[in-house]
Amino acid sequence: MGQILKWRLIFIALLLLLFLIIMGCLTIGPAPGSILNVFLILARNILGLTFFKPEERWSSTFETIIFAVRLPRLILAALVGAALASAGVVLQGLLKNPLADPYILGISSGAALGATLAILLGLGSSLFGSYTLPAMAFIGAIITIFIVYNISRVGQQVPMGNLLLAGIAVGAFFSALVTLVMVFSGKDLHAVIFWLMGGLANRGWGHVKAILPYFLVGIIPIYLTRRKLNLLLLGEEAAQHLGVEVETLKVILLGAVTLMVAASVSMSGIIGFVGLIIPHIFRLLVGPDHRILLPVSALGGAIFLVLMDTLARTAAAPLEIPVGVITALWGGPFFIYLLRKKKGTVGF
Amino acid sequence: MSVAVIEICDVTCKYDTVKVLEEVNFKIRRGSFTGIIGPNGSGKSTLLKIISKALKPNRGTVWLNEQNIYHLKAQAIAQQMAVVPQETVISFPFLVKEVVMMGRSPYLGLWQAEGKRDYVICHQAMQLTNTLPLANRPVTTLSGGEKQRVIIAQALTQEPEVLLLDEPTSHLDINHQLEIMELLQRLNQEQKLTIVAVFHDLNLAAQYCDQIILLHQGKIYALGKPEEVLIKKNIQEVYQTKVLIEKHSLTGRPYLTLLPGNIFLTAQKARLKNKHIHVICGGGAGTNILRFLVSQGYTITAGVLNKGDVDLETAKTLDITVIEEAPFMPVSQASHCLNLEMIQKADACLVACIPFGHGNIKNLEAVAFALEKGKPVFFMEENENDIALRDYTEGKAEKLYQDLIKKGAYPLSDTESIHTFFA
Repeated sequence: MGQILKWRLIFIALLLLLFLIIMGCLTIGPAPGSILNVFLILARNILGLTFFKPEERWSSTFETIIFAVRLPRLILAALVGAALASAGVVLQGLLKNPLADPYILGISSGAALGATLAILLGLGSSLFGSYTLPAMAFIGAIITIFIVYNISRVGQQVPMGNLLLAGIAVGAFFSALVTLVMVFSGKDLHAVIFWLMGGLANRGWGHVKAILPYFLVGIIPIYLTRRKLNLLLLGEEAAQHLGVEVETLKVILLGAVTLMVAASVSMSGIIGFVGLIIPHIFRLLVGPDHRILLPVSALGGAIFLVLMDTLARTAAAPLEIPVGVITALWGGPFFIYLLRKKKGTVGF
Repeated sequence: MSVAVIEICDVTCKYDTVKVLEEVNFKIRRGSFTGIIGPNGSGKSTLLKIISKALKPNRGTVWLNEQNIYHLKAQAIAQQMAVVPQETVISFPFLVKEVVMMGRSPYLGLWQAEGKRDYVICHQAMQLTNTLPLANRPVTTLSGGEKQRVIIAQALTQEPEVLLLDEPTSHLDINHQLEIMELLQRLNQEQKLTIVAVFHDLNLAAQYCDQIILLHQGKIYALGKPEEVLIKKNIQEVYQTKVLIEKHSLTGRPYLTLLPGNIFLTAQKARLKNKHIHVICGGGAGTNILRFLVSQGYTITAGVLNKGDVDLETAKTLDITVIEEAPFMPVSQASHCLNLEMIQKADACLVACIPFGHGNIKNLEAVAFALEKGKPVFFMEENENDIALRDYTEGKAEKLYQDLIKKGAYPLSDTESIHTFFA
């Protein structure tokens, strides 16, 4: 009983921390402002509070920068971070493999192929307006998982070992295709490479709105089945004997993860490390129980990516460092530190 | 409620084209303790997997409380039946109490957290299995026996009517084996839990089960009480191994002893098989001698023994040819003659350290005949020249004995030295 209370407190504390960090990060950038002003801008735009006179406190340009440029980007970072970290937790549990990350089943390669084709065929905004690139990436990702799933299916069952191998094989094949296409890409090479490195530059509310439904459709079933995911760690047969419809659960979780990750990748490109390391970090901190591991990893992933993205856009301003580079530069050493300090196993 | 809690109907199961189970039918009585035995590959684990719905047979069904398990949801089955596997690998450092609590999940809805009742049930299950002291330890730090008890505790929190176990003690030391078996027996008797378990240790099955199913090549070879199923003929036929089956001196259940060294005929054994030793014994003094000589490969006969004699029973379990006499009767002339005939064929004669009275003095006379025929004779002695203490014929036996020693019979203190003679 005490444990559940403790879990709730940790969750609320992290939620609060995420909020404060987003507020803090909003103030950072070429046009700095006070936290109070940022808070008031949010109050005005979101809650419609107008008991103060904005023009006396800040310029309308600043308001646009905060509300229309920085805020959607940070929220997108939080959603992508949360999606990747939760997907990592689920896949590591489902595959019982510590090396599993959101891209292990080939989602990233499929998305990359879709995106690369969109860039190189010069689709521009012909298919889905300004969202042609993300839409192509999303379609590529979904098709990949569909192929991987059907390759590994044996009758009514999907053995996880098959899934893992099929994912790696199909992923490698698509990566090769991406490289092949890049060879012939000529002047578009730069755009492709930049997309592959992952980043959140120039993303707005439209992107947030586009990812949100997929994020919700993905995260809700994962959240509801997190106790059953614990049982899967005992083995599939044991889980079945404890009342879990294992095959159904696998399909639900794979579907949910696919939607979340595909939507994330299509919006942000391939941001590595978040989905691999954040689950491990929180497994070391709160233990293997998915009832707490999943929510805190989601929040942790969000916090991590918000911070890293802020660093990416400000550290070498006006140059943007790809956020994937920053996540690895920070996450790697921090994880090694935790591993040494805890001296524990990662739980595998 | 019907008497049968589980009914297996016409189950046939194939892996590819190999039939693992063929037309298996039986019922499991509510409250029984059933053991499934059989050699490797006889289909016993497959059968358990089918009962637990981990495997779907090619034909046939399993009824659990008169419901077809293939029409039941995993959750509904989990509320009636729990499964303890041979070994559970948990590589994540869950605490013991968390692992036990997982057994409650068939009763919890998606939005529901564990309630007070769940904690009470967990506590009881841990008390029963003596796992309370482990509650706050990570499962990854437990020994095999401790972990098995934790998994049984988890199974009990499912509040099942039936507990299925697949060789629950095969990875454990003998003390932990007994601990688990006694726990199961207690659950069976006190909690009225129906237990179905696969065993490869026939003696564990014999001691604790009240019903045994012997599988052979995917079919039920025998089914019944331990003493009906565990008989020499069945074991020899199914396991292709010679065993001794006796009554366990404390429990009265059948007790099997393997006869080592009966499978491969070594060169030494092949040679010793031609050595025929006739043993004179009685009253239990010959039991160990007979067993030893048979296990070494000698051809053994014995006589004359009265019906009801312990040594006669032993000789029979060892398939030794014995000259028999009616109970408590002195050796008759007829038996004596048969005995002499047997000695005539033998290469040597061994006399156990037995007392001699008027009833069996004829056996000592038979030994004298052996010596006359030039056969080596060995006398087993506990203490050197202790014949006087074993003589109940007013000196007649002692005189004959000393006489034979003088004529060249060998006194021996242990059976093994007979080897040196033949080797």
